[in-house]
Amino acid sequence: MKRSTVLTEKNRGTWATVFAGLILLPVVLSVLKPLWAAEPEVFLEDPDARWEACLRDAEYMRYRHMDLLKEARSDVIRSGLKGGITLAGCGDCHHNRDQFCDRCHEKASVSLDCWGCHYYLTESELQDLEEHDGGGE
Amino acid sequence: MDRRGFLKKSGAVVAGASGVLSLPVLSSCAGEAAEVPSTLAGTKWGMVIDLTRCREGCTACMDACRQENNVAFHGDRRWDVHWIRKATLHPKDESAGLEEKEVILLCNQCDDPPCAMVCPVQATYKREDGIVLVDHHRCIGCRYCMIACPYNARFFNWKENPDWPNKGYPRRSHGVAESCHFCAHLIDGGGRPACVEACRREGEEALVFGDLNDPESEVSRLVAGGGTKRIREDFGTQPKVYYLGL
Repeated sequence: MKRSTVLTEKNRGTWATVFAGLILLPVVLSVLKPLWAAEPEVFLEDPDARWEACLRDAEYMRYRHMDLLKEARSDVIRSGLKGGITLAGCGDCHHNRDQFCDRCHEKASVSLDCWGCHYYLTESELQDLEEHDGGGE
Repeated sequence: MDRRGFLKKSGAVVAGASGVLSLPVLSSCAGEAAEVPSTLAGTKWGMVIDLTRCREGCTACMDACRQENNVAFHGDRRWDVHWIRKATLHPKDESAGLEEKEVILLCNQCDDPPCAMVCPVQATYKREDGIVLVDHHRCIGCRYCMIACPYNARFFNWKENPDWPNKGYPRRSHGVAESCHFCAHLIDGGGRPACVEACRREGEEALVFGDLNDPESEVSRLVAGGGTKRIREDFGTQPKVYYLGL
């Protein structure tokens, strides 16, 4: 059998390092990414928000908003308890779904199917509505 | 120490440690499972349909239901969903003096609902106030409830609903089963079902809605007055929709 001239007994260690490096590259990149990635833009809410205070602080909402929503969901559906948090109620302050929901979910590759059934304004719809309102006055 | 002894001891240490470490996790789970107090217990919603007052050709209740609940209408009977509909009963024997009759059909809101009994994921269930409804987040679209329902009151969303007249209420995505739920969202807000309101607006009172547990309510008085029938009482499903003039 012909022996390989590329992979020999001597340079086996080098090749092993190259392969290990290739495999670990994505991990290393994702760990180091915050060093050069831009800070996410802060999305400023509409100042004419109906609610005076936020439900929870931003840090809590960032990681636990789905728990709040699921709890509220079972309250409403299973126990008929109204008056709590609703998905549509989010839109009272956060008028723009593209900014408030979709931007982060897209970034985190989380696919939602909320909007198949629940209504929440997207940016284009909001603009249409504003133009429509402006024309009507 | 021999190998057997070592394995035994290390196993005991790992089991003990994991037990102690998982205690806080387990206790926090137990705390979350606390029952939410429901405000529904005590009432038992029911409906009386007075067919003698139902005008022939009037579709007010059906239109109102579609508008309120975003019920899918594709214009094709294979895919259309009906929460409330009218069916014409043809007499088997015309010599008996019976005439054709239009009957309003909707989910009978059984007290012992077969649809909820067979649902493999408890998506269909009976609330404490007796309303049978579907948690569409949970429905897997197996259509077992449609087979179980003896009244053909359940429908399946074969397609995405193209219309969305009432943006304040969710529509259903394709692949879930559904039926009338007495407009539970309106009842919880202190209102009455959309079909009942529509019938009133038409100047008729063919649909009467109320609490069957309250002896003073109109439905209770109508039921107590006699002459009401329920469809196929022999099934033992105990419907909460009563008919006058059937």
